Amino acid sequence: MGIEFITLLIVISLLGLMALGVPLGVTTLTVSLATAMLYFGERAGFFIVAANVSEVLHKYELIAVPFFVFMANVLERSGIAKSLFDSMAILGGRFRGSVGVQTCIVAVVLAAMSGIMGGEIVMLGLIALPQMLRLGYDKKLSIGIICAAGALATLIPPSVVLIIYGLAAQVSITKLFAASAVPGFMLASLYITYILVRVRMNPSMAPIYDIPETGLPLFQRLKYMKGVILPAILIGTVLGVIYSGVATVTEAAAIGAVGALIVAAIQGELRWTMARDAMRQTVLTVGSIIWLVLGAVSLIGIYNRIGGGEFLRGLLTGLDVPPLMVIVVMMLIIMLLGTFLEWIAIIFITVPIFAPVVINLGFDPIWFGVLFAMNIQIYYLSPPFGPACFFLKSVAPKGIELQDIFLAVLPFIALQVLGLFLVLFFPQLALWLPAMLD
Amino acid sequence: MKRLLTRYADTMSHISVFIGHSCSILFFACIAISALEVVMRYGFDRPTVWSTELAMTLCATAWVLSVGYVTERTRHISITMLEILVSPKVWRLFRLFQQLIAFAAIFVLTLALWKPALKVIGRTEYSGTAFNSPQPTIFKVIIVVGCILYLAQLIANIIRWTQETQEDMPSGN
Amino acid sequence: ETFNIQTSFNAGDFSTQYLTETWLPKISEMTQGRVEIIFTPNGSVVPARETPEAVAAGVLDGDFTSVNYFAGLEPAFAIMGDLISGYDTPQQMLGFCRDGGGEAMMQRAADEITGGEVHVVACGPYSRESLPARTPIRTFEDLEGMKIRSPEGLAAAVFQAAGASPVSIPFSEVFGALEKGIVDAADASAYVNNDRTGLHDVAPYPLYPGIHSMPSMQFTVNTEKWDTLSADDQVALKTWWYDAMTAMTEEVSKLDAELAARDDAADGIEVINWAQEDRDKLRVVARSQWEAYATKSALAKEALDAHIAYMTQIGLFEK
Ligand code: NA
Ligand code: NA
Repeated sequence: MGIEFITLLIVISLLGLMALGVPLGVTTLTVSLATAMLYFGERAGFFIVAANVSEVLHKYELIAVPFFVFMANVLERSGIAKSLFDSMAILGGRFRGSVGVQTCIVAVVLAAMSGIMGGEIVMLGLIALPQMLRLGYDKKLSIGIICAAGALATLIPPSVVLIIYGLAAQVSITKLFAASAVPGFMLASLYITYILVRVRMNPSMAPIYDIPETGLPLFQRLKYMKGVILPAILIGTVLGVIYSGVATVTEAAAIGAVGALIVAAIQGELRWTMARDAMRQTVLTVGSIIWLVLGAVSLIGIYNRIGGGEFLRGLLTGLDVPPLMVIVVMMLIIMLLGTFLEWIAIIFITVPIFAPVVINLGFDPIWFGVLFAMNIQIYYLSPPFGPACFFLKSVAPKGIELQDIFLAVLPFIALQVLGLFLVLFFPQLALWLPAMLD
Repeated sequence: MKRLLTRYADTMSHISVFIGHSCSILFFACIAISALEVVMRYGFDRPTVWSTELAMTLCATAWVLSVGYVTERTRHISITMLEILVSPKVWRLFRLFQQLIAFAAIFVLTLALWKPALKVIGRTEYSGTAFNSPQPTIFKVIIVVGCILYLAQLIANIIRWTQETQEDMPSGN
Repeated sequence: ETFNIQTSFNAGDFSTQYLTETWLPKISEMTQGRVEIIFTPNGSVVPARETPEAVAAGVLDGDFTSVNYFAGLEPAFAIMGDLISGYDTPQQMLGFCRDGGGEAMMQRAADEITGGEVHVVACGPYSRESLPARTPIRTFEDLEGMKIRSPEGLAAAVFQAAGASPVSIPFSEVFGALEKGIVDAADASAYVNNDRTGLHDVAPYPLYPGIHSMPSMQFTVNTEKWDTLSADDQVALKTWWYDAMTAMTEEVSKLDAELAARDDAADGIEVINWAQEDRDKLRVVARSQWEAYATKSALAKEALDAHIAYMTQIGLFEK
């Protein structure tokens, strides 16, 4: 049997099992165990799977994941996120579209404290969405803002997606964190520009919003700063520790987790039950991630051994197109996979194959990692499998259906694609910050 | 017989949840150790050789052992697109299929991990670093324990499926 | 016959390119096409630590790997894999493997963990790592109080015994740690690699030729597969490997030396070359640590005795 045929068989069985709702980790484990045993028989097949599965636990960087997830859970449960939103509303002042812009900015700040997508969207869906709808904001615009801006959590550092990418591509996570900051802010600015342009063209989409406090003079509004200061210090500490290279990403995540508890304590929100529940939630969230990684790593080991990596690399490097077009092809493949696969599975399936090709073509794998994370932004929003949309649906007021959400995010997907192409053609957008830090 | 099975399903679920909750304590310890290392390094200029490995070992242990809890809450990441396309009755059959496949895969995985685990129990494998902890040995054993917990909880879930008491919890992260 | 060999080199490494382009064609030539070798990068099929078992099980046909990965499996591998501050040049250590009983020792260690299913074809290093430092360490005495990144057991022990304090941080953090002064010096890689990763920008006092690590590689083949080869092909494989390693040693040290000379002449970087006297002092201190380490197993003790006998024979220790 040729490797082409095996590859096809593997893809079909993966898709089949996934479509039937088999957990993704189990799907990849099943396929890798079956391939291993068919190819190598019991002894060698068992060995190769066992060796790769156990090795996952040796990845030190992986333990930053529960820490960042815990940090995000504490911020949500302690009301820090909500008081940040309220403070921003008062500090922001009044202009057309102000609540939309403010939601974007709050999302960016939250993204700098959270490493996973989901919590933020739920939080903004509960606080900002009813607010905007009550004020007469256009429904689609409001939904789009929350899904798109809320998804920034994994592009703006810290980011679990970048941690997993760094592990799979064997590149510095610190550098990835530095490289993704500017593209993250750029996407946020694109969203804000879009909001301002839309509401200017069509003022009925966003009535001017008045709460009494915004009428106060600036210096009186400044006392509402306290909801902003503590999160700002926390962000500064965690990112400062990472960028300065003072500690590993894992240690920075631990500092962030402790810091989040301290901030909660200062705000009088720290309770043992709160911390305990935040951690139990963390256990459930990360508990499923590890099995995905185990399955993916095991599948990659087998696939490489039967010559699959070599085969796909050959396909990609054999393309008779300019190097940058090869990257574009890779981006399209990732987008395609993103319509039905989980992001961790996408990383582990594509990165070990793509990364060596990217390096061979003379590109920087850090830059490719940023492109990858931006592509994941698209994946979060795009139907039919758009996790960000599912998250919003779970908390949206009655009457907002999934198809409304999918329609609402379309313009923002266009902006994400625009952002992706900007970084694709101007790599300096991603690379100047890591270069500065070197 | 039926009561016995129900007893098993309930007891197993309790054990899984208890272990899952205990794992949070390990994660807390892990956070504390990692943060402490930074304090030791900068506050006291005394970096340790043990913190990285100890934090990793605790964290990986918690991570693997939480599997029963995750399975009990059916929180494994899966794609449930078909759920809205097929009738509830058909989806119920899918649910059984998913759990049977999971059981078969994890069972074979346990067989695969069994020999390496026995081997390191017989001849301890060390990390070879300055701290030289038996970390590789712990990992190879703990992952087998995790698989067995996973299987045991899957049996409980399947029992609940037959008795139609398995709550339809939303999956996904 | 095609041999799938997992290496401990990464896909983009100089060594991967050099071996694949220059040396892989030679083995098929030497055996008239009877032996073809395919190299796969580090960890691509199984984790680096698991290659002996993978070769035994037939998942891989062989490995071409840093021996140090197996230090946790059997202490003898640490002694064989990198005798910290032992030999002065890779050629000396290659001599030990080829003529001083090194291969036989490696075979005994392989048998200890796999039970005869792995055949050791050859062993030896091809480069001596340099030690990038941000503070000048000109003599043995200067080591006192220095914070040095060294994750491996034996290296940490030797640095500690020499008065330095070893720090264990992941390789990915070396650059940042040197830049911020978290460590004064760091166990990293060969001069050429450190040059490429820009370490000398943040650690402008590299110790070259290095004073500590000289990682040794092993070349093994699944025993069953080895036995199917004709005696001529077996000899060819062994000869080929030592020729390749010798050539690579020359290539790497030429590159290293050129870069070091270039940097030393330029402002901003001072390449420090320890006097023989200082190297000998460190070797004596190191020996006590080797001996302490070798108490971990009978095989480790035997491996060390073989080393010391050879080192005495070539004059690194007095008779
Ligand atoms: Na983030
Ligand atoms: Na999608």
